[in-house]
Amino acid sequence: MSASEKPPARFREATPTPAVESVRRPATLQLAFAEPAEQATSFAATIPLTHLWLCIYLPSLPIEALTGRETAAAVCEERHGVRRILLANDSAEAAGVAAGQTVNAALALLPALYLADRDTLREAKTLQRLAGWCEKFTSFVCMEPPSLLLLEIAGSLALFGGIQALRQRIVTELTSQGFQAAVAIAPTPFAATWLSRAGRRVCIRDPKNLVSQLGSLSIHYLGWPDAVCASLKGMGVTSVSEVLRLPRQGFAKRFGVKRLLQLDRALGRLPDPRVSYRTPEQFVANHELSEEQSDAGLLLNVCKSLLEKLEKFLRSRQIAVQDITLVFFHLETAATHLSLGCVQPDRAVQHWLDLLQIKFDRIHLPAPVIAVQLSAGRGQTFTAATETLPFNRQKKTQDSSIAHLAERLSARIGDESVHGVTAVAEHRPQYAWQAHNVLDTVPHCQNGQICMPDPHAPELLADLRRSNSLVLQRPLWILTEPQPLESRRKLPWYQGALTLLRGPERLETGWWDDNGIARDYFVAANPAGVRLWVFRDRGQKLPAWYLHGMFG
Amino acid sequence: MSEALENLLTNPSIWRGQAKTGSPGWQGLASGYPKLDQHLAGGGWPRHALTEILLDQYGTGELQLLMPALAQLSQPGNEQEESEEAGWIAWIAPPFEPYPPALQQWGVNLSRILIVRTRGGKEALWAAEQALTSGNCAAVLLWSNELDDAASRRLQLAAEAGQSWVVAFRALKALTEPSAAALRLHLHAGERGTDIDILKNRGGRPAVVRDYAG
Repeated sequence: MSASEKPPARFREATPTPAVESVRRPATLQLAFAEPAEQATSFAATIPLTHLWLCIYLPSLPIEALTGRETAAAVCEERHGVRRILLANDSAEAAGVAAGQTVNAALALLPALYLADRDTLREAKTLQRLAGWCEKFTSFVCMEPPSLLLLEIAGSLALFGGIQALRQRIVTELTSQGFQAAVAIAPTPFAATWLSRAGRRVCIRDPKNLVSQLGSLSIHYLGWPDAVCASLKGMGVTSVSEVLRLPRQGFAKRFGVKRLLQLDRALGRLPDPRVSYRTPEQFVANHELSEEQSDAGLLLNVCKSLLEKLEKFLRSRQIAVQDITLVFFHLETAATHLSLGCVQPDRAVQHWLDLLQIKFDRIHLPAPVIAVQLSAGRGQTFTAATETLPFNRQKKTQDSSIAHLAERLSARIGDESVHGVTAVAEHRPQYAWQAHNVLDTVPHCQNGQICMPDPHAPELLADLRRSNSLVLQRPLWILTEPQPLESRRKLPWYQGALTLLRGPERLETGWWDDNGIARDYFVAANPAGVRLWVFRDRGQKLPAWYLHGMFG
Repeated sequence: MSEALENLLTNPSIWRGQAKTGSPGWQGLASGYPKLDQHLAGGGWPRHALTEILLDQYGTGELQLLMPALAQLSQPGNEQEESEEAGWIAWIAPPFEPYPPALQQWGVNLSRILIVRTRGGKEALWAAEQALTSGNCAAVLLWSNELDDAASRRLQLAAEAGQSWVVAFRALKALTEPSAAALRLHLHAGERGTDIDILKNRGGRPAVVRDYAG
């Protein structure tokens, strides 16, 4: 499964209630919400509520989205022309900064206060990241901006050891990430939403208890517009139970069918289909620095934190990536792009960091950096390496670590600089071999044996070499381009007159690719004792000598 | 002599001037040339150490000298119990192209060859150190003109750490320079074939081998 094959749309249609169509819809002209007790119980049976919704409400999301602030910080918002504190973190609150204060008052209390304007985009991104994180608990996560997440957990209870254990785990892990959350569990999404918004850490499993639990809620938690709430208040209606007592028809007429529908859905009288959030498969993360930085160590730390996010992202999907791109933004000049690639898909932070460190030594940043962005290439299925048992001392991970070595080398020296070689069945010497990517043709192990193409039996070759016959002598060093040799008295000259020891070996033609040759190859020795592989080009009128290799 | 002292003296890093040649505490990697092996400590190339080969010019038989050992290292299952897999052979900054058909004739497993081209001698040293410390190269062949005493010491340490054999090819002018190599050879053309002067031989003695392949 790869990222690019997926449509860009991040949402998929959900079918939380498969029996939607067969559900008998309640008559819309029913007179009142409140029913006699026995009617309420029979009602619950008509819609099978097999789902359980866990709602996470993040009341302090605006300040929590400002990550990495240990010191006093606050988020402010402009209302009626006055900038007021919306939320402050713990250390700011300890100094007396409180929500609702004007910015000036807050600064008078704490001059070192870090103030940030509310950024709904940043909050949305944080919420999205959390939605992705929640996918480890259930396959059905629903984002309710600005600060709510809904998880359908009925199917996850057995795996996570029951409702309380799951809820506890979610709360603890959110706290450790620095998020305060109010969590409520109810059989309908709206009920869970309202209860968590009210801060009621309840857990309702039985739909029969919905009416009683929701009844005492203030209408403020329903998320209705202020005008609606004010108008209800004017009628003396302040809680949900009082709303339910109102005549349905009149309620729908005055406050809209939508709200009536919401109440019905909250009580489980109507099905409530939701769309599930699906994390995008492409990973992009940013880190903005508070001030320009050019210190390599600090930038590497920033990259490390981004890479850790990447690893989390990849691990939750069981994928790995082969290439990542880091972009360093500068204030004045164009951004610096840095691409890293590895031979085998990987996701380990340390591995990427090693490559980055090597590359980092060599790149030149034209200006201090103000922000860093990490984006990952297309994901591939990750195949984890099998760990060997401790008493098995064999270096089983050789192939993968040679890949790491090759990456490290090519990260510093360049991609083309590291390669393997293969022999090609071809009589023309210059075509008898090829460079190739190191891991392309690494034969895979079968039963612990390396199966490699073995064109000649080594024993036979050794025999032939001993008897010094039949085997065509080939030099260990070859020149990429034959080097013309001077000839004196019809003999080639290379630091002295050459003596021809063996030959000629005539190599000809190549009409199929227009690179034909007509050469007589000789094994020659020069006075210094260097054995050379030379040839006479028969294609030319005058005999021309070339040096093509050395026996080394 | 006490047993503890005997044990201590068999430690390969202790060199005793009085020691009898050919009986150190370790087993060398057979070079495939009996004439040479009998002079080398341990009966072969020192594994996990730096070997320096000084040359007048390329092509004086320096590769042929290594071929049998490299063939042995690159084939699976030929080594002792330490690792049954074939080791990689890294060629770092070779002056020409190693020719695969010839390597194959010598029995070298081509699928285990890694060739690294660098832009300078310093980079070659760095690459060699990386290859050695990665621990999956059985042998590293290095051509670098930046090799000095300090670099040779680093390579020697890296070879010990990564348990691999590193061979550095150097020009003859390095003859007078100090080096941390365990074995230093000087190859030159003799009357009948290539002669080897063993200049430094840890655990053994300097010697001259005439026509090693003959």
